[in-house]
Amino acid sequence: MKLNEAGEARVRGYLFVLGQSLKSFLPRAVVMDAVQELESHIRERIDEAEAEPDERTALEQVLKEIGMPQRVAQAYSAEITIEEAITTGRVAPTVRAFWNLATTSILGFFPALGLLLGYLLGFGSLLTALMKPVLPNNTGLLVVDGVPRGFGVFSPLPPGAEMWGGYWIMPILIAVGLAVLILTQRFATAFLVWWRARRGKSDKLPGWPV
Amino acid sequence: MKAKPVVTVDPLDKWREQLRRGGLELAILLSVSSIPRYGLEIIRYLQESTDLVVTEGTIYPILGRLTRSGVVEAEWVSDETPHPRKYYRLSQRGRKNLDEMLDHWSSYRSKIDHLVEAAGRI
Repeated sequence: MKLNEAGEARVRGYLFVLGQSLKSFLPRAVVMDAVQELESHIRERIDEAEAEPDERTALEQVLKEIGMPQRVAQAYSAEITIEEAITTGRVAPTVRAFWNLATTSILGFFPALGLLLGYLLGFGSLLTALMKPVLPNNTGLLVVDGVPRGFGVFSPLPPGAEMWGGYWIMPILIAVGLAVLILTQRFATAFLVWWRARRGKSDKLPGWPV
Repeated sequence: MKAKPVVTVDPLDKWREQLRRGGLELAILLSVSSIPRYGLEIIRYLQESTDLVVTEGTIYPILGRLTRSGVVEAEWVSDETPHPRKYYRLSQRGRKNLDEMLDHWSSYRSKIDHLVEAAGRI
């Protein structure tokens, strides 16, 4: 089937939406390559299709079979980001994968929030440990009128406040920070493995071999 | 009060999915091991020869990852059809990887066959 001008415009529109949707999650070079490849795929399918009962219907049928551009982009970007996060185990791909899940599903939002809290707690502990030699009198457990009010770096100190905790808190904070970061990363990878298996099932793809 | 039915994940479904995931990469590498193939051609080849149905959203990211890791090589060919096609073929490194994967697959399969035989299920 050869497309007329309206059909070409429809394909360009589809690819535009696809590119825009992919841009949210993937680097520019990957998006360009993905769009080019999916364009080739779509045109291949169009070439094979017969203009029955008419060109417009046949084109819509091809695009329907491929899926809505947002859904294709979602599947494509999720596959790339989750695969990269699981195989490399690095922080940046993991954050990208969780960002993808958080912005495309409700179920992905809460684990992403947990991941954010884990990273904040881990990096916060390490940062507090590093700040202790810089601001020794402002770093530690903040106690106001004998009541603990918080832990971290406080400057200036509120009236009636005193800091508890000497230099001995540094190794503890470093150990806690590293432990929290490692546990958060492990939880994140385990969750992504579970998510991938679950999504694979929801795609209703037949098992293999069947 | 009537208790709500508990929704559980069928362990067999989970197992099938894990098996499918594990075998997909090997199946893709095998499909481009003898001749270069483009994306849609790989999808059709897997569908026809193995009943393994894969979607565009699954196969292209995997091909992209295999290309980035140097296991397959990709090349755009524009003189065959009005639109260019991206062909994939196994790289030298990919061939080595595939040989190792096939050795492992063969050994694993014979061990499972042995267990099945020992259990008297054949």
